[in-house]
Amino acid sequence: MEKEHLGELEELILLLVVMLKEEAYGFAIRKALKDQANRTVTIGAVHGTVNRLEKKGFVESDMSDATEVRGGRRKRIFTVTASGKKALQKSQELKVSLWTQIPEFSLGNQ
Amino acid sequence: MKTLKSNKLSHRLLKLLCRKEYIEEILGDLAEYKEELASKPAWKRKLFYWFHVFNFLQPWALKNIDGSQKLNQYGMFKNYFKTSVRSLLKNKAFSGINILGLAMSLSLVVLMMLFLGEIYSFDDFHENRDNIYRVTSTEVRGNRGAVVKQATGSYFIADQLAQEVSGVGEVLVMTNTFTKLDIGTEDKAVPVDCYYAGSTFFNLFSFDLIKGNPNTVLSLPNQVVLTESVAYKLFGDQDPMGQLLTAEMSGYLQNGATAESDLKNGVVSGIVADPPVNSHLRFEALISLKTKERAIIERSLDHQTNPGYNSNLYVYLVLNEGVKPQQVEEAMFNSLKAFNTEREDNPLIHNLQSMSTFITSDTYHSAGPTFAKRKLLIMLALTLIVLLSACFNYTNLSLARALRRSKEVGVRKVIGASRFQVFCQFLVEAIVISSMALIIGIGLFLLIKPFFLSLPNPSARGFEMFELAISFEQVLYFFLLAILVGLLAGILPALFLSKIQTINAFKNSLQSKLPGKISVKNILIVFQFTMSIGLIMCAVLINDQYNYTLSYDLGYDTEDILTVEIQGDYVDVLANEYAKLSEVEAISKSGWVLGVGGDGLTAGMFFSEDRSARTLSLLNQIDDKYIPMHNIEILAGESFYEPLGRDVAAYNILVNEAFLKELGLGAPEEVLGQQVLYNGEKIRIRGVFKDAVSIGLTKKFLEPMVFIQTNSATDYKALNLKIASNDIMGMLTKLEEVYAKHDQIHPFNASYYEDSIAETYKAEKGTYTIISFLAIMAISISTLGLLGMVIFNTETRQKEISIRKVLGAGIGNLAVLLSKNFVLLILLAALIAIPITLEIVERQVLNSFWDRAPISMMETLSGFFIVLLIGLFTIAIQVQKAARANPINSLGSE
Repeated sequence: MEKEHLGELEELILLLVVMLKEEAYGFAIRKALKDQANRTVTIGAVHGTVNRLEKKGFVESDMSDATEVRGGRRKRIFTVTASGKKALQKSQELKVSLWTQIPEFSLGNQ
Repeated sequence: MKTLKSNKLSHRLLKLLCRKEYIEEILGDLAEYKEELASKPAWKRKLFYWFHVFNFLQPWALKNIDGSQKLNQYGMFKNYFKTSVRSLLKNKAFSGINILGLAMSLSLVVLMMLFLGEIYSFDDFHENRDNIYRVTSTEVRGNRGAVVKQATGSYFIADQLAQEVSGVGEVLVMTNTFTKLDIGTEDKAVPVDCYYAGSTFFNLFSFDLIKGNPNTVLSLPNQVVLTESVAYKLFGDQDPMGQLLTAEMSGYLQNGATAESDLKNGVVSGIVADPPVNSHLRFEALISLKTKERAIIERSLDHQTNPGYNSNLYVYLVLNEGVKPQQVEEAMFNSLKAFNTEREDNPLIHNLQSMSTFITSDTYHSAGPTFAKRKLLIMLALTLIVLLSACFNYTNLSLARALRRSKEVGVRKVIGASRFQVFCQFLVEAIVISSMALIIGIGLFLLIKPFFLSLPNPSARGFEMFELAISFEQVLYFFLLAILVGLLAGILPALFLSKIQTINAFKNSLQSKLPGKISVKNILIVFQFTMSIGLIMCAVLINDQYNYTLSYDLGYDTEDILTVEIQGDYVDVLANEYAKLSEVEAISKSGWVLGVGGDGLTAGMFFSEDRSARTLSLLNQIDDKYIPMHNIEILAGESFYEPLGRDVAAYNILVNEAFLKELGLGAPEEVLGQQVLYNGEKIRIRGVFKDAVSIGLTKKFLEPMVFIQTNSATDYKALNLKIASNDIMGMLTKLEEVYAKHDQIHPFNASYYEDSIAETYKAEKGTYTIISFLAIMAISISTLGLLGMVIFNTETRQKEISIRKVLGAGIGNLAVLLSKNFVLLILLAALIAIPITLEIVERQVLNSFWDRAPISMMETLSGFFIVLLIGLFTIAIQVQKAARANPINSLGSE
């Protein structure tokens, strides 16, 4: 149970990994975080989080081909795993179920 | 350049600390981040970048410490740190002494590092810095065969370099000294320091040209590039480009006549940012060299083709990649062959000087700011010595206290600590102390920085050369340094303490096993005292010479004489108006101020009548009031006693004894009425005056001196006023008001003789201040060390002291007992320090003076006495404490 727990930043980043697909590597994720969620974090924080996600088995990674921008260095591209997807779904279900139990914020109003 | 450096540093740091599998993506992402930052200002760029770099140093990214005990290691270091802090707090006196001593020396080291960094970074804003060279000239000049080395070249060699020599890129010719012009518009003018510079100036150098085309701003006659600040002064917010300029020489003389400015109808062709502090060229305006060349052609001078016209021009060049300077030097040598055959045994030799050595060179004379390498090395050596001294304090105190901590080591070893672990523990302790010292040291540095920056440095030639600003990267280096210092100071005690065998640790037999109980410790103490004594002596000796020089009998009266600088032709009018003031007793005019010299100094070549002998002599234009006012002693003949008529040419001179000697003219009485040649004209010797200090005690390169009476107003650059007034401020204001009526361009510059003479010796004053400062540092550090040793000694011998007291010893006996050793050490230090210091001071400092202050016994022993006094005082306080303590307290607890 404990292993599957998703932190808030972890969840955001995991979602972004799914969204970015082929382009899901550290710096791009940081940029997406800034653009989409208006959150500025250090590159180190992004790396730390994806590495943690990898350890938990939610993402896998592969080195890409070398690029010129990065001084010939390769990128590490992350892809979400089945258990990662499951964790995301679970988290969403949990939130939806919580939302539905709060009548004051009735979802039906929309 | 800079970004590359920081890149490398951060890469190295990350590679060292981060796990291999992550390093590639980390560096890759950082590279992209760097691009994103490119639009931000430099300091922000650096700060953000480094913030991100450090952010990677988190547990997930860091390498594991190798070995089987990796977890344990981390814990151990934490533990070391904790015990270090505890032991620091437990021994507040000792920690305080150590930290304070190290902090003082580290503040000096920080200062030196920044200083070195700034010297090293001089001119680093030029893109071609590594390939820029300057032509230098070496030749023998004058009768005495003095070798003159100047950082100058000629039009001839510049043409050769540009056209005949392969491997040379851009070549630039420019004047090597400022032309002081009053540049302005119809309604206002400001004094401006200008260079005449060739059209390649902005191609070769990377000065920031804000407006104008770098290829053409200096390519036509009369083009002027102003610096931003001058442009603002003249035109305010108006667009300066294309504006017309007037120019007048700032009352400069050439062969007795006011020279006309070569620039007549100037046009502003460009605006350049003010040259940065770390530039060897500083200017307020640049005028196209064509302007000057046109004047040369009009006067049909041969400057442009004569290889011997080599004292007034800088020649810079860029070497193409891969070309060795030696090749070009050889080519220059060959192109001068024809010229040198005529000069026979006195060839002119051109060499190349690399841009990186412009600032530290003391071989070639240049007009820009310099900081001689020799001076730098001395400062560096002294800093290192002070640092070592502080490290020794730490080593000494720790060794001395080893006895007390042996039980701690014993317990650690019994529990299972290895020797290496104990070693690490003590090293960590030393590093903790040195890091704390660094933080205090940086604070101290900030305190002494303004004082240091305000020190006079005559070789800077009036420019500010240093800022001593700390950058973020440098702080990093400082901490590395602190760690290094910690290692240096802590290694000996750590080695010793870790060596203690468990079984001995609990016995009291350790005392005899202290390493070199006599030797090492005592050698370190003697070293410190030698330093302190030596530095104090240096300060005393230099100060003594300084005061001696100030109060030196110049050979003429200077009391109450105020000199006012004149730049223009209004001297007679001004003198008349000043004469009406009641405070002014007498007025005389002169070309320059005796005993001070400075920029206005003039000299000329004099020949004997048959042209068999010649001498370069100082030449001062004076009026008839000058000699009586200064009370200069006339040995033979008569002085000038009446004003020279309007149209009478000056054909009478007064000469000094040295002048007679140089020309071989004979005794003063015999030469009266004899004639000498000056400027091709015959001049009569009217009188002989006694040798007096002409320029200053440090600069007697020319001894012959001539006074000549003149009636040309522009010859006079100084008004000498004999003042009788108690209200100096009021008097100066009055003088200034009158002055301002006649000269609206130049500021009022007046000073008393004593003040201008003191100004002449500001270099010596600067040396004295630095040495005194270092002496205070050294003596504080060694006193701290001594204090530590004495505290330790009295504490460990408390029982012995108590027993002695019980048996009837008085405070006197105790004092002798406790101080005997130290006094012996100080005595030994004095024996070493005194002869060495005398020798060094003699060779390095005082030999530039040609009249020395006598060195008395008192000065020789000054350092010794001061150190002894401070030492005894320190000991006395401790003895007092020990002697007052109740014996029961220390004896009762057994």
